[in-house]
Amino acid sequence: MFRSDTTAEGEFRTKVRTWLEANLPFGLRGRTVRPLPAELMPWYHTLSRKGWIAPHWPKQYGGMSATLNEQIIMTEELARVGAPHLPVQGLNHIGPILMEFATAAQKALHLPPILAGTVIWAQGYSEPGAGSDLASLSTRATLEGDHFVVKGQKIWTTWAHHSDWMFALVRTDPQAQPRHAGISFLLIDLHSPGIRIRPIKTIAGDDEFAEVFFDDVIVPAENLVGKLHDGWRIANALLGHERLATSNPQTAMMALERIKTMARASGIITDPAFQDRLAAASINVTALSAMFSHAVQLTNNEHSLGPEASVIKIFSTELLQTLNELLIEAAGGHASAKNPVTTNFGEVDVAASFLQSRRVTIYGGSSEIQRNVLARRVLNLPN
Amino acid sequence: MDLHLTSEQTLLRDSAAKFIGAAGPKVTRGFREQELSFAPVRLREAGDLGWLGILVPGAANGLGLGLTELALVLEQAGRGLLCEPIGLAAISAAALAQGRKPHPMLDRVMAGAVLVVPALQERAYGDDPLAPHTQVVEKGGTLCLTGQKAFVCADGADGFLVSASGRDGPVLCYVARQASGCTLSTTQTVEGRKLATLDLADAPADLVPPHPSSRNAVDALHNLALLALSAELLGAMERALEVTLDYLRIRKQFGKLIGSFQALQHQATNIYIRTEAVRSLVFQTAANNDPYCIDPALAAAVKAKASEDALAVTEACIQLHGAIGFTDEHDIGLYLKRAILLSSLFGNAAAQRRRYIAIAGLTG
Repeated sequence: MFRSDTTAEGEFRTKVRTWLEANLPFGLRGRTVRPLPAELMPWYHTLSRKGWIAPHWPKQYGGMSATLNEQIIMTEELARVGAPHLPVQGLNHIGPILMEFATAAQKALHLPPILAGTVIWAQGYSEPGAGSDLASLSTRATLEGDHFVVKGQKIWTTWAHHSDWMFALVRTDPQAQPRHAGISFLLIDLHSPGIRIRPIKTIAGDDEFAEVFFDDVIVPAENLVGKLHDGWRIANALLGHERLATSNPQTAMMALERIKTMARASGIITDPAFQDRLAAASINVTALSAMFSHAVQLTNNEHSLGPEASVIKIFSTELLQTLNELLIEAAGGHASAKNPVTTNFGEVDVAASFLQSRRVTIYGGSSEIQRNVLARRVLNLPN
Repeated sequence: MDLHLTSEQTLLRDSAAKFIGAAGPKVTRGFREQELSFAPVRLREAGDLGWLGILVPGAANGLGLGLTELALVLEQAGRGLLCEPIGLAAISAAALAQGRKPHPMLDRVMAGAVLVVPALQERAYGDDPLAPHTQVVEKGGTLCLTGQKAFVCADGADGFLVSASGRDGPVLCYVARQASGCTLSTTQTVEGRKLATLDLADAPADLVPPHPSSRNAVDALHNLALLALSAELLGAMERALEVTLDYLRIRKQFGKLIGSFQALQHQATNIYIRTEAVRSLVFQTAANNDPYCIDPALAAAVKAKASEDALAVTEACIQLHGAIGFTDEHDIGLYLKRAILLSSLFGNAAAQRRRYIAIAGLTG
């Protein structure tokens, strides 16, 4: 809408689209809930063999060194064909962090398995007592000679029970003030003795979450990333990029299509009151596209976004919820159906999609925390 | 988010900011409910700076720039609550320039010596801009208009660009204010300027042909008007937000700066997000469309969003000021009143959403 492909980009898009159509198994298309590893990882391996698993990684680490526009094209084409969500903690989070902060040995050990999809990573940030107030985390890592001893608990850890490794924020200095100055960034082998993992079922019915208990787990000292007590800076280094990447309007556009299908099937599409709200939501999807293009343009021209990226995170996630509320309304009596609703216009996942959308304003920093960040750091309002 | 601008665009914005710096709430106040709601000399100054011919091709002595440049200048006009209708004049100049031979009024309109404004609306709600009730017929080699146009910003206008239905669909016509059969009746607005109803009874008119790249001259001018007003609404929102943030940083209650209270911080953040969304929408639309063929669904979307959000933002600004915000003495109310007027012109948010449903094929 606000960006048209150059000739080269257009060719790239066609190449990606053709390959995806030919290679993505039909059973994996259009799933609103992420399939389990046994079903999903073969697709990861297929993308990896093609060399397309890490568009944003530099060539030297086995990535594609794709431009931002090419990355967006890939995201759009993956969404278009209905590709399932892959485990991205390795590709999008720890991978880039290792490239920036890790030793040569750490990179050599951990980056290739992420690319190959032989290792799955989990992010160990939140704790029962440290959610929005992440800096108050208390999982303790005590350095004893050549290893740390880790004791504590992580929670809301996506896919921990399917993962092999965790990158975690741990407290290495309990006395530090401010509190985030006593936090370190540690890589933990989840197959180590003393670790217990319990899946947590979500309101959407899946068990994407887990809690992880550490009972005097021995972690080699060489698994520390960066300097001791410098974990907070490392964890925050890539947040702006992540917020932009997760705000791609493609998800909202697909949600809009689901609403239109459902509204035609239920007949509410002819109701002027519904039409008005659908128009308002659709206009906001256009606004999101504009904000995303604007941000991409700035990033392409080396203006780093910083805390104002929170604007797009809030706008896109709250819009996704508005869209899913409209979906529920469009479904009428079908709203609560557990399985996808069969209509003359195709199958529509209603309740599962709606329930999934409730998490987006919570993870990656809740909307309220994002507003605090904006108020203080962008609007310069007093403390 | 900052805009990614060329150095020429930055220069243009800065010179517009400088020009508008001489305006502002105090000046705006002085023109409220006056016989004429702006200073003709300032309109001529804007003409001297080239802004009224900003979209007019160089061959017709205009600046030949694009929608981004228009939006940059009008954003500043909104920020400064500028009284001179430079947006309406600039888009009218663009229309007068679009035919194979420019309209004879073009040079004087670009100079700011005369003012021509669009007269496209007919009803309070539900206009189909492409199916006006005003009729145009040819009588003895002359075009004659009959009908009624409403909500025309006629203060100081010397002529109008009127949409009318002819044998082959909607056409755009130029009518002089002094033309026979042309009568104006005005209503005072809370914003300060007047809106007029334009009665046309066999009023003689000139045809304004479409630009070769546009579907239709009426459609092109209407879409251009929607974007121009949205850019001005954006400026008003931005400035109202800044004024409000300044207040939150100095006002104390309960022994603390009120800007430190989370309820107010989140309210401020909400209106900041709205402003940012409108800014991206206005400038991405401007950057990706040509002046004479703006995508009509996109134009409706931008005006719907800008109209709704400008009202929401300026309303919240009153609330965040508390009682002082409700006084006439405080400037913050001027932004709300500007938002009420501009939101309503050429179709408010509800009207634009209704058009958007039809144009974007949302229910098809």
